[in-house]
Amino acid sequence: MTLATQTKAGPARKTGSALAWLYFTPAIVSLLIWVYGPLLFTAVLSFLDWNLVSPDAAWQGLRNYGTLVTQPEFGNAAWNTVLYGLCVLPFATVVPCALAIAMWKRPGRASEIYRMLLFLPVVVAPVANALAWQFILDPLHGAVNQTLRAVGLPAVNWLGDPHTALLTIVAVTVPKVVALNTLLFGAALANVDRRTVEAARMDDAREGEITRAVVIPQLRRTMILLGMLSLVVVWPWLFTNISVLTRGGPSNATDNVYFRLYTYAFTFFDAGTASAAAIVIAVAFGLLLAGYAFLSRRFRASR
Amino acid sequence: MKSHRRGRRAGLVIALGAVAALLAGCGQSGSTAASGGPVTITFLSYTVGQASAVGDGTKKLIADFEAANPEIKVEAQPVPTADVLTKLQASVVAGNPPDVAQIGWSKVAQAAGTLPLRPFEDITSAEDWKNTLDGIVPSVLKATPVAGQQKIVSMPFLMATPVLFYNTDLFKAAGLDPAHPPTTIDQMKQAALTIKAKTGADGTYVSAVDPGKSDYLTQSLVDSAGGGLVTPNGDITVDSPQAITALSAVQDLTKSGAQPAVQFDSAQSAFSAGKLGMLVTTAGGLVTLDKAAKGKYTLGVAPFPGFEGMPAHPTFSGNGLSILAKDSAKAQAAWKFVQFLTSEKSFEYIASSMGYLPLRAAAASAADPRLGPALQQLADLAPYTTFPGKKSNQGVVVLQDEAVEPIVLRGADPAATLHAAAAKIRSLG
Repeated sequence: MTLATQTKAGPARKTGSALAWLYFTPAIVSLLIWVYGPLLFTAVLSFLDWNLVSPDAAWQGLRNYGTLVTQPEFGNAAWNTVLYGLCVLPFATVVPCALAIAMWKRPGRASEIYRMLLFLPVVVAPVANALAWQFILDPLHGAVNQTLRAVGLPAVNWLGDPHTALLTIVAVTVPKVVALNTLLFGAALANVDRRTVEAARMDDAREGEITRAVVIPQLRRTMILLGMLSLVVVWPWLFTNISVLTRGGPSNATDNVYFRLYTYAFTFFDAGTASAAAIVIAVAFGLLLAGYAFLSRRFRASR
Repeated sequence: MKSHRRGRRAGLVIALGAVAALLAGCGQSGSTAASGGPVTITFLSYTVGQASAVGDGTKKLIADFEAANPEIKVEAQPVPTADVLTKLQASVVAGNPPDVAQIGWSKVAQAAGTLPLRPFEDITSAEDWKNTLDGIVPSVLKATPVAGQQKIVSMPFLMATPVLFYNTDLFKAAGLDPAHPPTTIDQMKQAALTIKAKTGADGTYVSAVDPGKSDYLTQSLVDSAGGGLVTPNGDITVDSPQAITALSAVQDLTKSGAQPAVQFDSAQSAFSAGKLGMLVTTAGGLVTLDKAAKGKYTLGVAPFPGFEGMPAHPTFSGNGLSILAKDSAKAQAAWKFVQFLTSEKSFEYIASSMGYLPLRAAAASAADPRLGPALQQLADLAPYTTFPGKKSNQGVVVLQDEAVEPIVLRGADPAATLHAAAAKIRSLG
């Protein structure tokens, strides 16, 4: 009996894998056309001096990569990218988690309305949102500075001062991150067994202890996942606000690698340097990913 | 664990794919107009989408053209001022350039150097071309040829010189005489400080940090100080002593409190609200500023203020029209459109309702009387200069972002900052 199944499984597995490749083909072909092909093209472009339109593109070896290293702009943009990431992270994890837990602990009509209001920033049109902030933050007669002056505080040029500009861009972007992640934390909480909380209450645990010891441990995986995910999806949102509000200024204070890449490609028409930047970003992301995968495997193995 | 790794990789892949796709430029169209039927031409314009008298005026001119030429349809493609080159270049890469493009003077040299702008002489007959040029103010024709081009590729359309707009009511409230507005930057500073002290409003704003990333006002200031940004044989002189003097003077306005350290948009809305005494910017803002002032205060217009003991010598801002159409039927239709937009009748409308200058002498009588100071400047127009090489616009961006803005708004050392910017611009050429 066992022998019979084994002999049968051989050819069946073979046809099965051939069939599997057949099913895979459309996906693989479109990936090659839309993802890996352009990636290869970008890699080639990164060695050229080309303005996107002229018929002659000159080979320049590694000079485009040299530009990224020797000119201060890309290094500054890379540093700002790290700052953006660090500033966004708490608003992708701690803040929405706290909000979601608060609403989960007090279910009811008020909680529902609050949840809806919190979700609103996700659906606001990005450019309209940025323009509204431009009026609110206007250094001379915007609502924020009018209010500050009214209570006797000095006015701040939020988007015009290199010291505050990056934080201001973060502040106008994070409501979206908080809104989306609050919703997702809420979904994760739906899987948490309320009886674990009831049991803790029976044992006279205080509310803070319940949150710390019972609820949050059950959300840890969600928190790591959402933190990571937010660091991938937040860049287009930041890009819109940078593009509308500061264009990377003042003095490149709000620049990041994605906006710098856009500037190289579509303000300066330097396809070579832009492609070199794209390759550097891809490699850096790849290394981060590999490092994370390595660490998490070690972590799992040690447990 | 797996799902977030996949999420990250997917995000990365999407980002890279998007970048590569954009860089590669996809899509191609080489549409040919059917002979005999109606022709549709595309018009890339940065004024048509503006919610202002200039935007409305551009739309009206297009509608008038279509009414007069029922066999031609014009499809406008609105674009933000600072993105004209980006959009234009991207559409050329995609093989789908607009038939007619409205290109600002700070960007036209780079456009002509890298994009297929067609000389008008090659599209129409020599006689027609000569007749079209006939009647255009000579100083305009002298000042607008694009550097490095043998033939004309950009037809002057909406053109203006910088002037001093002022709020006559704030002048009166501060005890100043609105009939005698300041004529030099020094006088303007004193007037601004007086307005600030007496009325609490802000004093003045010189829009050297231009939102469209043009350096026309920087050039006007440096020219008026007796210098220039570039010599006729292409040497870059943005760190000349005259340039340092000019930008130091504007920085002094900020440092002394005569000028708020803000971007142009904030200054313009403060001026419109009657909370800023003076605004030095392009005369092309006249209709918009006048509309905002209506019912609140009376708007005054004076010539561009110069430096003590030297005549002011401003250059111009604005845009010209270029033809990119390859198809012969579309090129002819595009030429008709350009001819219409730069006709005497159009300039009468432009000068009376849009606030830009009548570039044909015959249309001058129709101009808004407050364009007087700008019209006087038109007779002795300083050419708009461009940096040499194919990266001339990048040079302008460097000058404006890395020198003018930090000096004027944030107190950077003028000499050191201009030297650094000059070195960078030279390395581009």
